[in-house]
Amino acid sequence: MEWLTPLTALYAAAVSVPLLLLLYFLKLKRREQIISSTLLWKRAVQDLQVNAPFQRLRRNILLLLQLLMLLTILFALARPILSLTTGPGQRYVLLIDRSASMNATDVKPTRLDVAKKQANVFVESLRSKAFFSLRERSDETMVIAFDSRAKVMCNFTADKRQLISAIDAIKTGDGNSSLAEAVVVARAFAQSPGVEQSIRSAEEPAQLVLFSDGQIHDLDQIVVGSDELSFHCIGESSENITITAMQARRSYEDPDEINVFAALANYATEAVTCDVQLSTNGDVQAVRSVTIPPSKTDSASDVAKPGKVTVNFTLLHAEAGVLEVRHLRSDILSCDDAAWAILSPPKRLSVLLVTGGNVVLESALKACPLARLDPCSPAGFDAMDHSVLSVEQPYDVIVLDNHLPAELSRCRYLVFGRPPDDIDVSVPQQLENQVIVDWRPKHPVLKYVNLTNLFAAKCYKMLLPRDAEVLAEFNESPALALVRRNGGVFLLAGFDVLQTNWPFEPSFVLFCYNAASFLGMQVGQNQQANLQVGEPIIVEGLPAETTAQIAGPGLSNRQIKANPAGSIRFPGTGRVGVYSLSIPDQVPKLFAVNLLDSQESNIEPLRQIVLSSRPIEAQQRPLSRSNLPLWPFLVGLALVLACLEWLVYNYRVRL
Amino acid sequence: MSAAKTTTSPKRLTDLLDPQFMARLDSLDVLSRKILQGKLQGERRSKRRGQSVEFADHRPYVAGDDVRFVDWNIYGRLEQLFLKLFLEEQDLTVHIVADASTSMSFGEPSKGLFIKKLTAALGYVSLVNNNRVTISFFTDGIKAQLANMRGRICLQQMAECLLTTEFDGLSKFDSACKQLAAGRIGSGVMIVLSDFLFKQGYDSGLRRLIGRQYDLYVIQVLSTQELSPDLSGDLKLIDIEDADAAEITMSAALAKYYKRNVTAYCNELKEFCAHRGLVYVLVSSADSVESLVLNYLRKIRLLR
Repeated sequence: MEWLTPLTALYAAAVSVPLLLLLYFLKLKRREQIISSTLLWKRAVQDLQVNAPFQRLRRNILLLLQLLMLLTILFALARPILSLTTGPGQRYVLLIDRSASMNATDVKPTRLDVAKKQANVFVESLRSKAFFSLRERSDETMVIAFDSRAKVMCNFTADKRQLISAIDAIKTGDGNSSLAEAVVVARAFAQSPGVEQSIRSAEEPAQLVLFSDGQIHDLDQIVVGSDELSFHCIGESSENITITAMQARRSYEDPDEINVFAALANYATEAVTCDVQLSTNGDVQAVRSVTIPPSKTDSASDVAKPGKVTVNFTLLHAEAGVLEVRHLRSDILSCDDAAWAILSPPKRLSVLLVTGGNVVLESALKACPLARLDPCSPAGFDAMDHSVLSVEQPYDVIVLDNHLPAELSRCRYLVFGRPPDDIDVSVPQQLENQVIVDWRPKHPVLKYVNLTNLFAAKCYKMLLPRDAEVLAEFNESPALALVRRNGGVFLLAGFDVLQTNWPFEPSFVLFCYNAASFLGMQVGQNQQANLQVGEPIIVEGLPAETTAQIAGPGLSNRQIKANPAGSIRFPGTGRVGVYSLSIPDQVPKLFAVNLLDSQESNIEPLRQIVLSSRPIEAQQRPLSRSNLPLWPFLVGLALVLACLEWLVYNYRVRL
Repeated sequence: MSAAKTTTSPKRLTDLLDPQFMARLDSLDVLSRKILQGKLQGERRSKRRGQSVEFADHRPYVAGDDVRFVDWNIYGRLEQLFLKLFLEEQDLTVHIVADASTSMSFGEPSKGLFIKKLTAALGYVSLVNNNRVTISFFTDGIKAQLANMRGRICLQQMAECLLTTEFDGLSKFDSACKQLAAGRIGSGVMIVLSDFLFKQGYDSGLRRLIGRQYDLYVIQVLSTQELSPDLSGDLKLIDIEDADAAEITMSAALAKYYKRNVTAYCNELKEFCAHRGLVYVLVSSADSVESLVLNYLRKIRLLR
């Protein structure tokens, strides 16, 4: 027998029992009745008192009944529980999946709510150290909610109220699910003594209890012992239609024209026809009906592959705005029904070329569709006011050709030759006769660029900081690298163009075009405006300590402050949708946060999960209580006592 | 249970005695178990020898006797003078003592009305038979008294007294009896009508009335509400006379004890009367006066 809330009942008892007694001993309000003589009545009362030694008790049988009734209600308030399981207390870690797929409504209200309910049942079934019981150890539990990150909701405790409120505090998210971090956190906490600081040592292994639909990305990275993890599978249906990819870009030829590409996937076993709607800033621009083939099970790997279809829209839109692609068929998971993209206004770039005279570079840049190309001598560049360059940003890209500026403004640079100082790139020596061994053709800068034949007679050996991106490598040094430092972006080419055969390659012009447009993109942060769930919103280049407000799905005008370096970082993009960041004296910046994750959109509940080749079956039955709450019986008893009291009262009055 | 309330007070004698009942009462007379000495010549035998038609005895003539009563037939046979003696017939004093305290107005039907009706019936019988009738209403003393009425002619007077007397006042039986005993007129039948629920007790008062001169009848009138009360709940009982309060919580046990007490109280009074040669009658105010008078009082030989 355990008491869940003994203190509540004690407090209630301390108030109500004396109150009842007080009420009982207060003078009765008696009805006045005139009779001819009180003589006989007084004698009768005397007789009654004299002749009935238990009369006082009998008189108070109503009080006794009321007291009994009150006591049963108080006992019910203490929520006694009859434990049906035995054994020593254990430690449990509840791992509750709150990823996007847990928002599915195939089980009502949502999978996450069902998981929370089951977790609550689990918690209520725990055995706690009873008030009056001799068992000295209670079950201790901790709660971890995870999507792509693990969040500790509650450390090890035996307090069921705390556990239940921790479980209830889990909010839905639209992230993808990765369990590895949660397991690592759980094991780390299992070494700690927990909230109660009990002497119970950490060597007692904690049992992991997983509530999920089984769609977890990184199951193969997790190793668990046998019987260490028990899995409760939540969910019934896999029918879901999702937008797995979406991209919007302006045409190279006509900047007003926008090409929108979206891919839809169908996880149901039947083909589905649905309408796909494109809207800009909330105004519907086009609706197209598509038929998505059913998902098929690959006979070789026995893995179900969703039916996929792609949709292309073309529209003219010369302004900035939010593009939304949404399929109009209601399904059980809503967060992947739509995808958003932020459109920046069409822009032509202004480029400053700082060179002592480089015809090749100048002509290559002239070939690009630029708004402005200003050549400038190195001395002229050094004489410029760099604070004006930082703040007013007259140039989108500054090309440094073999020039080491004394001061660097907060801009985007394409650097040929020796990299500037102050950006953590050191140059220990010069190299000779380098050929390209590898490059990243998928990076926007190297799109359509073939570097196979690039040869450098002389180049600088660059030792890059760890966060730098290497785009192409010579055999002894990085050839092209992207470094972000001090609010500026540096695309470093560690050689003089004239020391290479590159000007004779068609790839050089393409590289110049790509580099200029990539660096130019960094101005509008178009790239960073389209984010995945969980990716932080980062805005740089602001005055230090700027206060901004962010609004979005599930957020209402939260204040955030820029750090002294002038950048704002907001990690709370847990839900899909459009976030807007309002910075004083600026146009609000918009950010689209999308799921666009085909694995998370696959919401088929898995009855078996394989953790590093150890299959774990889901528990067959949903959790049920392993203990018996006694309060309904007590309330029933109180009701019976109330009836009895009524009967006794009537009997006494009538007879 | 309804509060005690007085029924509409009677306005005429016929409200107390309806004519048919009166006609039946004409044939009745008050009896006394004792042969008592009256005051005036009447219709009742007395111990005294006197003038009447009823022969009693002979005795030798002595000088000074009335020559008219000499039995001349005997003188003719025996030549001795004997005087014929006759039983003297005298009237009977009927004294009706009725309680007029406030408590008598209690009951449904009220005890007071019952007492008035009974008084009227008994008074009527007595007056019609030429008895000397005295009616006294007492509370803490004698409140109203009609003394020495005789004959049908006094009916109106009696009716007036009965109709005008109100039940109002604190009952002090002992002091009332003291006054009654002091102002006693003659000897005869005394009928005491009351509920006998006196806080000071009834014994000392009744003792004052007991004596050779009077043939005492005690009629205790209790209402139904007193005999078997229909009360419930937590009550504050208030005495109608002295506003004394008794707080009770009505229960089956208390009702039982109350009934036992009522019975015991009545039995006590009955025993008291039996020991002292009084006739005790317990009636309920709900009983009919007619059947009481015509049947029961004849059975106990108060009337014939």
